Amino acid sequence: MELPSDPNLIVGLERADDAGVYLINEELAIIQTVDFFTPVVDDPYYFGQIAAANALSDVYAMGGVPKTAMNLVGFPIRQMDISVLKEILRGGIEKLKEAGAVLVGGHSVEDNELKYGLAVTGFVHPKKVLTKRNLRPGDLFILTKPLGTGIATTAIKAGLASHSLINMVTRSMAALNKGSAEVMALFEVHACTDITGFGFLGHLAEMVVGASYGVEIWAQRVPVFDGIEEMANMGLVPAGAYRNRDFRKEMVEFDTSVPRYLQDILFDPQTSGGLLICVSQAHGEALLEGLHRKALYDSRIVGRVLGDRVEKIFVRLEP
Amino acid sequence: MVEIDLSGLSCPGPVIKTKELLDSKDPVRIVVKVDNTASKENVSRFLESRGYNVCVEMEGSKFCVVGTKGSGSEKSVRQERTEARVPEKRIIVMITSRTIGHGDEKLGASLMVNFVKTLKEILPNLWKVILLNEGVKLTVEGSECLPELQELSNSGVQILVCGTCLSYYNLINEKKVGETTNMLDVVTSLATADSVININ
Repeated sequence: MELPSDPNLIVGLERADDAGVYLINEELAIIQTVDFFTPVVDDPYYFGQIAAANALSDVYAMGGVPKTAMNLVGFPIRQMDISVLKEILRGGIEKLKEAGAVLVGGHSVEDNELKYGLAVTGFVHPKKVLTKRNLRPGDLFILTKPLGTGIATTAIKAGLASHSLINMVTRSMAALNKGSAEVMALFEVHACTDITGFGFLGHLAEMVVGASYGVEIWAQRVPVFDGIEEMANMGLVPAGAYRNRDFRKEMVEFDTSVPRYLQDILFDPQTSGGLLICVSQAHGEALLEGLHRKALYDSRIVGRVLGDRVEKIFVRLEP
Repeated sequence: MVEIDLSGLSCPGPVIKTKELLDSKDPVRIVVKVDNTASKENVSRFLESRGYNVCVEMEGSKFCVVGTKGSGSEKSVRQERTEARVPEKRIIVMITSRTIGHGDEKLGASLMVNFVKTLKEILPNLWKVILLNEGVKLTVEGSECLPELQELSNSGVQILVCGTCLSYYNLINEKKVGETTNMLDVVTSLATADSVININ
């Protein structure tokens, strides 16, 4: 399909990135993104928060600041009480306030299945746009939220998740990537993305495709929610994780020491996951310390860019 | 032998049905038929976690996941995780030190191990254990309290470990049990508890 072209479109569809970026002038570009989905938790207020945090995340991953947002709603008005929708929207607005963005409108349709999300517009300086490209050998990868939300939501559906797991995962999914983005802006960051449906390795693969380098990941260092190992071993792995794995199997090589449950977790589709930041080797530790100082304690250095193994991801347990 | 056809179900359906079957019948040999690869993998993982040897055969377009237990094998390799729960009387134990009391260091440390061990006795009402300051050192490898804390965690007690403290002692990566937490969680937990036992 031939797409309309415009020289001011800095980041478009030609390479899967987190959002589109359009140049307004030398000082300003806008970031546009949209995301919506069906409920991942039972509580409508938290579902609203999670959907908003998820939609806003793409702007943070591109190095921008969200400014305006519009609600997208599919609602089964005949089967469900309108108070549910009010709670969802309340959760969404809460997160917009926290992000410093305003709600400028929205659109709702009747739908058999409940859906909620937002279209978000953000600002960024054209020279500070972060994409999935631009990895350099020696760079370190930092992940800012634990993995396992897909396995956890599968366990919730199966009625096998503990309250503490549900609370922990809900809180994490509802957390904005704002704090991590603010810290990241102070350091020499080369590339960034956020972890969502393709899972950690799926999104990492998008950064590695077309690069002249490879990547090494230290599975034991990757943050994972408590209790997820057991859920994965029990077979509460969402089908999406297996699809993610099969889609990227040519690119990813696991050392034999990496247990199967960890491989599952690394491909587990995430909702409102953390930022995956590619930072210069010299700034890696300082960025991590900055994140921890901002109470983003789950952040970890999880791997590095290699000079060889072009377009491959090698996963071992430890460095 | 038990056989069940779960074609048409998607995850986590097949695992739930298989689990129900094992919980009620505990068969020595079980055959689960599914029609998609994700369910095949998940049912295999589940049966393995329950101590079965698993192999998969094709039957037309369906996968037959066959699980067999060796004779005399124990019931299941993994105990099921107990739900984290909110007890009727909510007791929080807050530990802010590596030892109990101020005196001989060794005595204080062994008192702490004994104390944490004995917390089992109030398990029905034990809601959370909060670890602050040097208390966070109880959660790392080598701490004699670690297995006890893990056991409490598996019994559904929330173990909250202060993130600022872990970070201060450079133990963020070493923590082996519990949930990294912040002061807001600590304060709201303490405020909603029925009783707080403070150890320092």
